[in-house]
Amino acid sequence: MVKKVFEKPLSWIERIFFLDFVRGLSITIRQAFRRTITTHYPYEKLTPPKRFRGFFGHKVVDGNEPQPAFEEWVERFKIQVEPGKSRCVVCMLCKRACPVPQLFEIEGEKLPDGRRRVSLFNMNMMLCTFCGFCVDACPVDCLFQSDIHETAGYTRKDSVLDLQTLERIGRDWQRRREEEPDRIWIDDYQRQRLWYENNPHLPEVKR
Amino acid sequence: MEGLIVWLIITLVKILVILGIVLGVGAYLTLVERKVAAHIQRRPGPMVVGWHGLLQPLADGIKLLTKEDLFPRYGNRFLYNLALVMALVPATLVFAVVPFGPEFKVFGVEVKPILTDVNVGLLLVFALGSMAVFAIALAGWASNSKYALIGSMRKAGIVVSYEVVITFAVMGPIILAGTLSTYEIVQKQIEQELWYIWLQPLAFVVYMFALLAETGRVPFDVQEAEAELVTGFTVEYGGMKFGLFPLVEWYIEVLSLSAIAVVLFLGGWSPINIPFLGFVDPLFFLGPLSPFVWFILKVSLLFLFVLWLHWTLPRYRIDQITETAWKVMLPLTFVNLVLTAVIAPVLWG
Repeated sequence: MVKKVFEKPLSWIERIFFLDFVRGLSITIRQAFRRTITTHYPYEKLTPPKRFRGFFGHKVVDGNEPQPAFEEWVERFKIQVEPGKSRCVVCMLCKRACPVPQLFEIEGEKLPDGRRRVSLFNMNMMLCTFCGFCVDACPVDCLFQSDIHETAGYTRKDSVLDLQTLERIGRDWQRRREEEPDRIWIDDYQRQRLWYENNPHLPEVKR
Repeated sequence: MEGLIVWLIITLVKILVILGIVLGVGAYLTLVERKVAAHIQRRPGPMVVGWHGLLQPLADGIKLLTKEDLFPRYGNRFLYNLALVMALVPATLVFAVVPFGPEFKVFGVEVKPILTDVNVGLLLVFALGSMAVFAIALAGWASNSKYALIGSMRKAGIVVSYEVVITFAVMGPIILAGTLSTYEIVQKQIEQELWYIWLQPLAFVVYMFALLAETGRVPFDVQEAEAELVTGFTVEYGGMKFGLFPLVEWYIEVLSLSAIAVVLFLGGWSPINIPFLGFVDPLFFLGPLSPFVWFILKVSLLFLFVLWLHWTLPRYRIDQITETAWKVMLPLTFVNLVLTAVIAPVLWG
Protein backbone atom coordinates (compact mmCIF):
# COMPACT_ATOMS: atom_id res chain seq x y z
CA MET A 1 0.00 0.00 0.00
CA VAL A 2 1.22 3.43 -0.86
CA LYS A 3 1.58 5.74 2.06
CA LYS A 4 0.38 9.19 1.15
CA VAL A 5 2.11 12.12 2.80
CA PHE A 6 0.65 15.58 2.45
CA GLU A 7 2.49 18.78 3.14
CA LYS A 8 1.02 20.72 6.00
CA PRO A 9 -0.33 24.02 4.67
CA LEU A 10 1.32 27.13 6.01
CA SER A 11 -0.40 28.94 8.83
CA TRP A 12 -1.18 32.64 8.51
CA ILE A 13 1.60 33.59 10.90
CA GLU A 14 4.06 31.67 8.77
CA ARG A 15 2.79 33.34 5.63
CA ILE A 16 2.91 36.88 6.97
CA PHE A 17 6.39 36.66 8.49
CA PHE A 18 7.83 34.35 5.77
CA LEU A 19 8.78 31.80 8.41
CA ASP A 20 9.41 29.14 5.77
CA PHE A 21 11.88 31.49 4.10
CA VAL A 22 13.51 32.22 7.43
CA ARG A 23 13.92 28.53 8.16
CA GLY A 24 15.62 27.92 4.82
CA LEU A 25 17.82 30.99 5.17
CA SER A 26 18.97 29.95 8.62
CA ILE A 27 20.05 26.58 7.27
CA THR A 28 22.02 28.05 4.39
CA ILE A 29 23.76 30.67 6.52
CA ARG A 30 24.84 27.99 8.98
CA GLN A 31 26.29 25.93 6.13
CA ALA A 32 27.99 28.98 4.64
CA PHE A 33 30.28 29.46 7.62
CA ARG A 34 31.28 25.83 7.98
CA ARG A 35 34.41 24.29 6.55
CA THR A 36 34.31 23.36 2.88
CA ILE A 37 34.45 19.68 2.05
CA THR A 38 35.92 19.84 -1.43
CA THR A 39 38.95 17.92 -2.65
CA HIS A 40 40.93 20.32 -4.84
CA TYR A 41 41.31 17.73 -7.51
CA PRO A 42 44.40 18.35 -9.58
CA TYR A 43 46.31 19.42 -6.46
CA GLU A 44 44.83 16.97 -3.96
CA LYS A 45 43.83 13.46 -4.87
CA LEU A 46 41.90 10.86 -3.00
CA THR A 47 43.28 7.34 -2.92
CA PRO A 48 40.64 4.97 -4.24
CA PRO A 49 39.90 1.81 -2.28
CA LYS A 50 41.99 -1.24 -3.09
CA ARG A 51 39.10 -2.90 -4.89
CA PHE A 52 38.88 0.00 -7.35
CA ARG A 53 38.64 -1.08 -10.99
CA GLY A 54 41.17 1.10 -12.71
CA PHE A 55 43.93 0.45 -15.24
CA PHE A 56 45.33 -3.06 -15.52
CA GLY A 57 48.69 -4.35 -14.41
CA HIS A 58 50.73 -7.53 -14.22
CA LYS A 59 51.95 -8.57 -10.80
CA VAL A 60 55.54 -9.72 -10.93
CA VAL A 61 57.16 -12.82 -9.49
CA ASP A 62 58.13 -11.99 -5.92
CA GLY A 63 57.51 -15.18 -3.95
CA ASN A 64 53.91 -14.37 -2.99
CA GLU A 65 52.31 -16.28 -5.86
CA PRO A 66 49.18 -18.30 -5.07
CA GLN A 67 50.37 -21.84 -4.43
CA PRO A 68 49.99 -24.58 -5.55
CA ALA A 69 48.21 -23.04 -8.59
CA PHE A 70 51.24 -21.16 -9.81
CA GLU A 71 53.54 -24.19 -9.54
CA GLU A 72 51.00 -26.35 -11.40
CA TRP A 73 50.66 -23.90 -14.27
CA VAL A 74 54.42 -23.44 -14.48
CA GLU A 75 54.83 -27.23 -14.59
CA ARG A 76 52.20 -27.69 -17.28
CA PHE A 77 53.47 -24.99 -19.65
CA LYS A 78 57.17 -25.21 -18.68
CA ILE A 79 57.24 -21.50 -17.94
CA GLN A 80 60.51 -19.67 -17.38
CA VAL A 81 60.07 -18.10 -13.91
CA GLU A 82 62.18 -15.00 -13.49
CA PRO A 83 61.94 -12.85 -10.34
CA GLY A 84 60.85 -9.28 -11.10
CA LYS A 85 59.13 -10.31 -14.34
CA SER A 86 55.47 -10.93 -15.10
CA ARG A 87 53.79 -13.95 -13.55
CA CYS A 88 51.88 -14.58 -16.79
CA VAL A 89 51.74 -18.23 -17.86
CA VAL A 90 50.12 -17.54 -21.27
CA CYS A 91 47.05 -19.62 -20.47
CA MET A 92 44.77 -17.26 -22.44
CA LEU A 93 42.01 -17.57 -19.83
CA CYS A 94 41.74 -13.80 -19.64
CA LYS A 95 41.11 -13.57 -23.34
CA ARG A 96 38.47 -16.30 -23.04
CA ALA A 97 36.68 -14.52 -20.21
CA CYS A 98 36.72 -11.17 -21.99
CA PRO A 99 33.48 -9.93 -23.58
CA VAL A 100 35.59 -8.15 -26.23
CA PRO A 101 38.37 -10.71 -26.75
CA GLN A 102 40.07 -8.85 -29.59
CA LEU A 103 41.38 -6.27 -27.12
CA PHE A 104 43.91 -8.86 -25.90
CA GLU A 105 46.95 -9.62 -28.01
CA ILE A 106 48.91 -12.36 -26.20
CA GLU A 107 51.86 -14.34 -27.53
CA GLY A 108 54.41 -16.63 -25.90
CA GLU A 109 57.89 -17.51 -27.11
CA LYS A 110 60.11 -20.58 -26.79
CA LEU A 111 63.52 -20.04 -25.32
CA PRO A 112 66.56 -22.04 -26.58
CA ASP A 113 66.48 -24.26 -23.48
CA GLY A 114 62.93 -25.39 -24.24
CA ARG A 115 61.18 -23.34 -21.61
CA ARG A 116 58.55 -20.75 -22.50
CA ARG A 117 57.63 -17.27 -21.41
CA VAL A 118 55.24 -14.48 -22.38
CA SER A 119 56.64 -12.23 -25.12
CA LEU A 120 53.71 -10.03 -26.07
CA PHE A 121 50.80 -8.89 -23.93
CA ASN A 122 48.91 -5.93 -25.35
CA MET A 123 45.60 -4.69 -23.99
CA ASN A 124 43.72 -2.13 -26.06
CA MET A 125 41.93 -0.05 -23.44
CA MET A 126 39.83 1.69 -26.10
CA LEU A 127 37.71 -1.48 -26.22
CA CYS A 128 37.79 -2.32 -22.54
CA THR A 129 34.70 -1.95 -20.35
CA PHE A 130 36.60 -2.47 -17.09
CA CYS A 131 34.29 -5.35 -16.19
CA GLY A 132 37.09 -7.26 -14.46
CA PHE A 133 36.22 -10.71 -15.86
CA CYS A 134 39.82 -11.25 -16.97
CA VAL A 135 41.02 -10.54 -13.44
CA ASP A 136 38.62 -13.13 -12.05
CA ALA A 137 39.76 -15.62 -14.66
CA CYS A 138 43.50 -15.25 -14.05
CA PRO A 139 44.60 -18.47 -12.28
CA VAL A 140 47.95 -17.18 -11.02
CA ASP A 141 46.88 -13.79 -9.64
CA CYS A 142 48.89 -12.05 -12.35
CA LEU A 143 46.46 -9.72 -14.11
CA PHE A 144 44.80 -7.27 -11.74
CA GLN A 145 43.15 -3.85 -11.69
CA SER A 146 45.02 -1.03 -10.01
CA ASP A 147 43.86 2.28 -8.53
CA ILE A 148 45.06 4.30 -11.53
CA HIS A 149 42.04 6.18 -12.83
CA GLU A 150 43.60 9.08 -14.73
CA THR A 151 43.70 7.25 -18.02
CA ALA A 152 43.54 10.08 -20.53
CA GLY A 153 46.18 10.17 -23.27
CA TYR A 154 47.10 12.27 -26.26
CA THR A 155 47.07 9.53 -28.91
CA ARG A 156 45.22 6.27 -29.50
CA LYS A 157 48.53 4.49 -29.10
CA ASP A 158 48.68 5.65 -25.47
CA SER A 159 45.64 3.57 -24.65
CA VAL A 160 47.35 0.27 -25.54
CA LEU A 161 49.01 -1.24 -22.48
CA ASP A 162 52.02 -3.32 -23.42
CA LEU A 163 53.90 -5.84 -21.28
CA GLN A 164 56.42 -3.33 -19.95
CA THR A 165 53.72 -0.90 -18.87
CA LEU A 166 51.69 -3.65 -17.24
CA GLU A 167 54.72 -4.89 -15.32
CA ARG A 168 55.61 -1.36 -14.25
CA ILE A 169 52.08 -0.79 -12.92
CA GLY A 170 52.26 -4.15 -11.15
CA ARG A 171 55.61 -3.48 -9.51
CA ASP A 172 54.40 -0.08 -8.37
CA TRP A 173 51.21 -1.59 -6.99
CA GLN A 174 53.04 -4.36 -5.12
CA ARG A 175 55.30 -1.77 -3.55
CA ARG A 176 52.45 0.56 -2.49
CA ARG A 177 49.38 -1.45 -1.68
CA GLU A 178 50.07 -5.18 -1.62
CA GLU A 179 50.01 -5.20 2.19
CA GLU A 180 46.55 -3.63 2.51
CA PRO A 181 43.50 -5.78 3.26
CA ASP A 182 41.31 -6.29 0.21
CA ARG A 183 38.17 -4.96 1.85
CA ILE A 184 37.88 -1.89 3.97
CA TRP A 185 35.09 -1.46 6.46
CA ILE A 186 33.77 1.73 7.90
CA ASP A 187 35.48 1.15 11.27
CA ASP A 188 38.80 0.25 9.70
CA TYR A 189 41.90 2.28 10.34
CA GLN A 190 42.78 1.79 6.67
CA ARG A 191 39.76 3.86 5.79
CA GLN A 192 41.00 6.66 7.97
CA ARG A 193 44.21 6.55 6.01
CA LEU A 194 42.47 6.58 2.63
CA TRP A 195 40.44 9.68 3.25
CA TYR A 196 43.02 11.49 5.31
CA GLU A 197 42.76 14.61 3.11
CA ASN A 198 39.38 15.40 4.62
CA ASN A 199 40.45 14.64 8.16
CA PRO A 200 37.12 13.03 8.95
CA HIS A 201 35.87 12.39 12.44
CA LEU A 202 34.80 8.79 12.16
CA PRO A 203 33.19 7.11 15.15
CA GLU A 204 35.62 5.38 17.49
CA VAL A 205 35.44 1.60 17.30
CA LYS A 206 34.69 -0.25 20.52
CA ARG A 207 36.18 -3.72 20.70
CA MET B 1 31.53 80.73 -19.23
CA GLU B 2 33.89 79.63 -16.52
CA GLY B 3 31.04 78.20 -14.50
CA LEU B 4 29.96 76.14 -17.49
CA ILE B 5 33.43 74.69 -17.96
CA VAL B 6 33.71 73.79 -14.29
CA TRP B 7 30.30 72.19 -14.43
CA LEU B 8 31.25 70.22 -17.54
CA ILE B 9 34.47 68.97 -15.95
CA ILE B 10 32.67 67.96 -12.78
CA THR B 11 29.99 66.12 -14.74
CA LEU B 12 32.58 64.32 -16.86
CA VAL B 13 34.50 63.22 -13.79
CA LYS B 14 31.27 62.04 -12.19
CA ILE B 15 30.32 60.04 -15.29
CA LEU B 16 33.75 58.41 -15.46
CA VAL B 17 33.78 57.58 -11.75
CA ILE B 18 30.26 56.15 -11.77
CA LEU B 19 30.80 54.13 -14.96
CA GLY B 20 34.11 52.83 -13.68
CA ILE B 21 32.67 51.88 -10.32
CA VAL B 22 29.54 50.29 -11.76
CA LEU B 23 31.19 48.22 -14.48
CA GLY B 24 34.21 47.28 -12.38
CA VAL B 25 32.13 46.35 -9.38
CA GLY B 26 29.69 44.55 -11.69
CA ALA B 27 32.50 42.36 -12.96
CA TYR B 28 33.75 41.61 -9.47
CA LEU B 29 30.26 40.82 -8.20
CA THR B 30 30.44 37.70 -10.38
CA LEU B 31 33.24 36.54 -8.11
CA VAL B 32 31.26 37.51 -5.00
CA GLU B 33 28.26 35.59 -6.25
CA ARG B 34 30.32 32.51 -7.04
CA LYS B 35 32.01 32.62 -3.66
CA VAL B 36 28.73 33.04 -1.75
CA ALA B 37 27.03 30.32 -3.75
CA ALA B 38 29.97 28.00 -3.26
CA HIS B 39 30.19 28.50 0.49
CA ILE B 40 26.46 27.99 0.93
CA GLN B 41 26.98 24.65 -0.81
CA ARG B 42 30.16 24.02 1.21
CA ARG B 43 32.49 24.44 -1.74
CA PRO B 44 35.39 26.92 -1.79
CA GLY B 45 34.50 28.40 -5.21
CA PRO B 46 37.19 29.72 -7.57
CA MET B 47 40.57 29.24 -5.89
CA VAL B 48 43.17 28.91 -8.64
CA VAL B 49 43.49 32.29 -10.39
CA GLY B 50 45.03 34.67 -7.91
CA TRP B 51 44.67 34.58 -4.14
CA HIS B 52 41.34 32.79 -3.47
CA GLY B 53 40.40 33.39 -7.11
CA LEU B 54 40.68 37.17 -6.95
CA LEU B 55 41.73 37.43 -10.61
CA GLN B 56 38.99 35.09 -11.80
CA PRO B 57 36.79 37.88 -13.30
CA LEU B 58 39.73 39.02 -15.45
CA ALA B 59 40.36 35.47 -16.61
CA ASP B 60 36.67 35.05 -17.41
CA GLY B 61 36.65 38.35 -19.30
CA ILE B 62 39.64 37.37 -21.42
CA LYS B 63 38.14 33.99 -22.09
CA LEU B 64 34.79 35.47 -23.14
CA LEU B 65 36.42 38.14 -25.33
CA THR B 66 38.48 35.60 -27.28
CA LYS B 67 35.50 33.39 -28.05
CA GLU B 68 33.93 33.03 -31.47
CA ASP B 69 31.01 35.34 -32.21
CA LEU B 70 28.24 32.91 -33.08
CA PHE B 71 25.00 33.94 -34.68
CA PRO B 72 21.92 31.71 -35.02
CA ARG B 73 20.70 30.91 -38.52
CA TYR B 74 17.61 32.92 -39.59
CA GLY B 75 18.03 35.23 -36.61
CA ASN B 76 17.61 38.98 -36.93
CA ARG B 77 21.09 40.42 -36.61
CA PHE B 78 20.00 44.01 -36.03
CA LEU B 79 17.61 43.18 -33.19
CA TYR B 80 20.07 40.63 -31.84
CA ASN B 81 22.69 43.32 -31.32
CA LEU B 82 20.17 46.00 -30.38
CA ALA B 83 18.97 43.85 -27.46
CA LEU B 84 22.45 44.04 -25.93
CA VAL B 85 22.48 47.83 -26.06
CA MET B 86 18.92 47.99 -24.75
CA ALA B 87 19.92 45.81 -21.83
CA LEU B 88 23.12 47.58 -20.87
CA VAL B 89 22.26 51.25 -21.32
CA PRO B 90 19.08 51.62 -19.20
CA ALA B 91 20.56 49.50 -16.43
CA THR B 92 23.63 51.69 -16.16
CA LEU B 93 21.66 54.92 -16.68
CA VAL B 94 19.78 54.28 -13.43
CA PHE B 95 22.97 55.17 -11.55
CA ALA B 96 22.62 58.72 -12.86
CA VAL B 97 20.05 59.43 -10.15
CA VAL B 98 21.56 57.41 -7.30
CA PRO B 99 22.93 59.75 -4.61
CA PHE B 100 26.12 58.33 -3.09
CA GLY B 101 26.51 60.81 -0.25
CA PRO B 102 25.89 64.34 0.97
CA GLU B 103 27.18 67.48 -0.72
CA PHE B 104 30.86 68.24 -0.18
CA LYS B 105 33.38 70.88 -1.25
CA VAL B 106 36.42 70.27 -3.46
CA PHE B 107 38.66 73.27 -4.36
CA GLY B 108 35.90 75.62 -3.33
CA VAL B 109 33.31 74.01 -5.61
CA GLU B 110 30.13 72.48 -4.22
CA VAL B 111 29.84 68.90 -5.54
CA LYS B 112 26.78 66.71 -5.16
CA PRO B 113 27.81 63.05 -5.50
CA ILE B 114 24.88 62.38 -7.82
CA LEU B 115 25.09 62.71 -11.58
CA THR B 116 21.81 64.55 -12.17
CA ASP B 117 19.61 65.62 -9.29
CA VAL B 118 16.48 65.79 -11.44
CA ASN B 119 13.26 66.35 -9.54
CA VAL B 120 11.63 63.29 -11.14
CA GLY B 121 14.51 60.94 -10.30
CA LEU B 122 12.38 58.02 -9.18
CA LEU B 123 10.16 58.29 -12.23
CA LEU B 124 13.31 58.02 -14.34
CA VAL B 125 14.41 54.92 -12.40
CA PHE B 126 11.21 53.04 -13.03
CA ALA B 127 10.91 54.23 -16.61
CA LEU B 128 14.41 52.85 -17.26
CA GLY B 129 13.62 49.72 -15.27
CA SER B 130 10.69 48.92 -17.53
CA MET B 131 12.99 49.31 -20.55
CA ALA B 132 14.70 46.10 -19.49
CA VAL B 133 11.76 44.07 -20.71
CA PHE B 134 12.35 45.29 -24.27
CA ALA B 135 15.91 44.06 -24.24
CA ILE B 136 14.86 40.63 -23.09
CA ALA B 137 11.89 40.35 -25.43
CA LEU B 138 14.10 41.43 -28.35
CA ALA B 139 16.86 39.02 -27.37
CA GLY B 140 14.40 36.14 -27.29
CA TRP B 141 12.76 37.14 -30.56
CA ALA B 142 15.92 37.84 -32.53
CA SER B 143 17.60 34.58 -31.50
CA ASN B 144 15.14 32.46 -33.47
CA SER B 145 15.13 29.81 -30.77
CA LYS B 146 12.18 28.39 -28.90
CA TYR B 147 13.96 28.21 -25.58
CA ALA B 148 15.01 31.84 -25.85
CA LEU B 149 11.53 32.93 -26.89
CA ILE B 150 9.85 31.06 -24.02
CA GLY B 151 12.33 32.56 -21.57
CA SER B 152 11.84 36.08 -22.82
CA MET B 153 8.05 35.77 -22.85
CA ARG B 154 8.08 34.54 -19.26
CA LYS B 155 10.32 37.43 -18.25
CA ALA B 156 8.05 39.90 -20.06
CA GLY B 157 5.06 38.53 -18.16
CA ILE B 158 6.84 38.90 -14.84
CA VAL B 159 8.22 42.37 -15.48
CA VAL B 160 4.88 43.71 -16.69
CA SER B 161 3.15 42.53 -13.50
CA TYR B 162 5.87 43.60 -11.09
CA GLU B 163 6.43 46.97 -12.73
CA VAL B 164 2.95 47.94 -11.53
CA VAL B 165 3.59 46.54 -8.06
CA ILE B 166 6.94 48.24 -7.59
CA THR B 167 5.56 51.59 -8.66
CA PHE B 168 2.76 51.41 -6.11
CA ALA B 169 5.17 50.13 -3.44
CA VAL B 170 7.44 53.18 -3.73
CA MET B 171 4.40 55.45 -3.58
CA GLY B 172 4.49 55.26 0.24
CA PRO B 173 7.99 56.76 0.71
CA ILE B 174 7.21 59.35 -1.96
CA ILE B 175 4.13 60.51 -0.03
CA LEU B 176 6.11 60.63 3.22
CA ALA B 177 8.92 62.62 1.63
CA GLY B 178 6.71 64.72 -0.63
CA THR B 179 9.23 64.64 -3.48
CA LEU B 180 10.38 62.45 -6.37
CA SER B 181 14.00 63.53 -6.26
CA THR B 182 16.23 60.79 -4.80
CA TYR B 183 18.56 63.31 -3.16
CA GLU B 184 15.65 65.13 -1.52
CA ILE B 185 14.11 61.88 -0.26
CA VAL B 186 17.29 61.07 1.65
CA GLN B 187 17.49 64.63 2.96
CA LYS B 188 13.90 64.37 4.18
CA GLN B 189 14.65 61.13 5.99
CA ILE B 190 17.58 62.78 7.73
CA GLU B 191 15.48 65.84 8.64
CA GLN B 192 12.59 63.73 9.93
CA GLU B 193 15.06 61.45 11.73
CA LEU B 194 13.25 58.43 10.40
CA TRP B 195 14.12 55.66 7.98
CA TYR B 196 10.99 55.02 5.98
CA ILE B 197 11.33 51.27 6.52
CA TRP B 198 9.99 51.82 10.05
CA LEU B 199 6.76 53.26 8.65
CA GLN B 200 6.68 51.20 5.46
CA PRO B 201 7.72 47.63 6.28
CA LEU B 202 5.02 46.29 3.97
CA ALA B 203 6.19 48.42 1.07
CA PHE B 204 9.76 47.31 1.73
CA VAL B 205 8.86 43.62 1.57
CA VAL B 206 6.87 44.15 -1.59
CA TYR B 207 9.75 46.17 -3.05
CA MET B 208 12.19 43.35 -2.28
CA PHE B 209 9.92 40.84 -4.01
CA ALA B 210 9.62 43.09 -7.02
CA LEU B 211 13.41 43.56 -7.04
CA LEU B 212 13.90 39.81 -7.18
CA ALA B 213 11.29 39.49 -9.92
CA GLU B 214 12.63 42.32 -12.09
CA THR B 215 16.20 41.11 -11.94
CA GLY B 216 15.26 37.49 -12.49
CA ARG B 217 16.68 36.27 -9.22
CA VAL B 218 15.50 33.12 -7.47
CA PRO B 219 12.60 32.55 -6.51
CA PHE B 220 11.46 34.33 -9.69
CA ASP B 221 14.06 33.08 -12.15
CA VAL B 222 11.65 31.27 -14.46
CA GLN B 223 13.08 33.09 -17.46
CA GLU B 224 16.48 31.52 -16.79
CA ALA B 225 15.38 28.18 -15.36
CA GLU B 226 18.59 26.30 -16.14
CA ALA B 227 16.87 22.97 -15.71
CA GLU B 228 14.07 23.62 -18.18
CA LEU B 229 15.21 26.40 -20.48
CA VAL B 230 19.03 26.08 -20.56
CA THR B 231 19.36 29.72 -19.34
CA GLY B 232 16.46 31.16 -21.32
CA PHE B 233 16.94 34.13 -23.60
CA THR B 234 20.75 34.11 -23.53
CA VAL B 235 20.99 30.64 -25.01
CA GLU B 236 21.84 31.82 -28.54
CA TYR B 237 24.38 34.42 -27.47
CA GLY B 238 28.08 33.63 -27.34
CA GLY B 239 31.27 35.08 -25.94
CA MET B 240 31.15 38.51 -24.32
CA LYS B 241 27.61 39.04 -25.61
CA PHE B 242 26.57 36.12 -23.44
CA GLY B 243 28.58 37.47 -20.54
CA LEU B 244 26.89 40.86 -20.77
CA PHE B 245 23.33 39.68 -20.10
CA PRO B 246 23.89 38.10 -16.67
CA LEU B 247 26.22 40.99 -15.84
CA VAL B 248 23.43 43.46 -16.54
CA GLU B 249 20.55 41.44 -15.16
CA TRP B 250 22.05 39.85 -12.12
CA TYR B 251 24.60 42.42 -11.02
CA ILE B 252 24.07 45.92 -12.36
CA GLU B 253 20.29 45.83 -12.04
CA VAL B 254 20.36 44.26 -8.60
CA LEU B 255 22.93 46.83 -7.56
CA SER B 256 20.92 49.77 -8.89
CA LEU B 257 17.64 48.54 -7.42
CA SER B 258 19.34 47.86 -4.06
CA ALA B 259 20.73 51.39 -4.16
CA ILE B 260 17.25 52.74 -4.82
CA ALA B 261 15.89 50.60 -1.98
CA VAL B 262 18.55 52.01 0.33
CA VAL B 263 17.64 55.53 -0.76
CA LEU B 264 13.92 54.99 -0.31
CA PHE B 265 13.71 52.85 2.79
CA LEU B 266 17.06 52.79 4.56
CA GLY B 267 17.91 56.46 4.63
CA GLY B 268 20.57 56.61 1.96
CA TRP B 269 23.88 57.68 3.48
CA SER B 270 22.54 58.27 7.00
CA PRO B 271 23.86 56.09 9.83
CA ILE B 272 21.79 53.73 11.97
CA ASN B 273 18.44 55.23 12.86
CA ILE B 274 16.33 54.94 16.00
CA PRO B 275 12.82 55.97 14.93
CA PHE B 276 11.94 59.57 15.88
CA LEU B 277 14.95 59.84 18.24
CA GLY B 278 17.95 60.34 16.03
CA PHE B 279 20.94 58.71 14.40
CA VAL B 280 23.67 56.60 15.95
CA ASP B 281 26.93 56.57 14.02
CA PRO B 282 29.40 53.87 15.08
CA LEU B 283 31.61 54.96 12.15
CA PHE B 284 32.02 58.56 13.35
CA PHE B 285 35.82 58.26 13.32
CA LEU B 286 35.79 58.23 9.51
CA GLY B 287 34.75 61.88 9.57
CA PRO B 288 33.44 63.20 6.25
CA LEU B 289 33.90 59.76 4.65
CA SER B 290 31.42 58.03 6.94
CA PRO B 291 28.23 58.80 4.88
CA PHE B 292 29.80 57.23 1.78
CA VAL B 293 30.89 54.19 3.77
CA TRP B 294 27.39 53.84 5.20
CA PHE B 295 25.83 53.98 1.75
CA ILE B 296 28.20 51.38 0.31
CA LEU B 297 27.75 49.20 3.39
CA LYS B 298 23.97 49.25 3.13
CA VAL B 299 23.95 48.53 -0.59
CA SER B 300 26.39 45.67 -0.26
CA LEU B 301 24.48 44.15 2.65
CA LEU B 302 21.28 44.29 0.63
CA PHE B 303 23.08 42.73 -2.33
CA LEU B 304 24.44 39.94 -0.15
CA PHE B 305 20.94 39.36 1.19
CA VAL B 306 19.66 38.96 -2.38
CA LEU B 307 22.46 36.45 -3.06
CA TRP B 308 21.61 34.59 0.12
CA LEU B 309 17.97 34.35 -0.95
CA HIS B 310 19.02 33.23 -4.40
CA TRP B 311 21.01 30.27 -3.18
CA THR B 312 18.39 29.21 -0.65
CA LEU B 313 14.99 29.28 -2.25
CA PRO B 314 13.42 27.05 -4.89
CA ARG B 315 11.73 28.46 -7.99
CA TYR B 316 8.09 29.46 -8.30
CA ARG B 317 5.99 28.60 -11.32
CA ILE B 318 5.13 31.43 -13.72
CA ASP B 319 1.42 31.32 -12.83
CA GLN B 320 2.23 31.47 -9.11
CA ILE B 321 4.48 34.47 -9.69
CA THR B 322 1.96 36.53 -11.63
CA GLU B 323 -0.81 35.43 -9.27
CA THR B 324 1.19 36.72 -6.29
CA ALA B 325 1.80 39.97 -8.10
CA TRP B 326 -1.79 40.73 -9.02
CA LYS B 327 -3.72 39.06 -6.20
CA VAL B 328 -1.48 39.60 -3.16
CA MET B 329 1.17 42.23 -3.75
CA LEU B 330 -0.93 44.79 -5.60
CA PRO B 331 -3.83 44.86 -3.05
CA LEU B 332 -1.25 45.06 -0.26
CA THR B 333 0.38 48.08 -1.85
CA PHE B 334 -3.05 49.71 -2.25
CA VAL B 335 -3.74 49.20 1.46
CA ASN B 336 -0.28 50.56 2.24
CA LEU B 337 -0.88 53.58 0.00
CA VAL B 338 -4.19 54.47 1.66
CA LEU B 339 -2.75 54.06 5.17
CA THR B 340 0.26 56.20 4.30
CA ALA B 341 -1.92 58.87 2.77
CA VAL B 342 -3.92 59.00 6.01
CA ILE B 343 -0.94 58.81 8.38
CA ALA B 344 1.47 61.19 6.67
CA PRO B 345 -0.58 64.40 7.21
CA VAL B 346 -1.22 63.38 10.82
CA LEU B 347 2.51 62.99 11.49
CA TRP B 348 3.82 66.05 9.70
CA GLY B 349 0.77 68.32 9.58
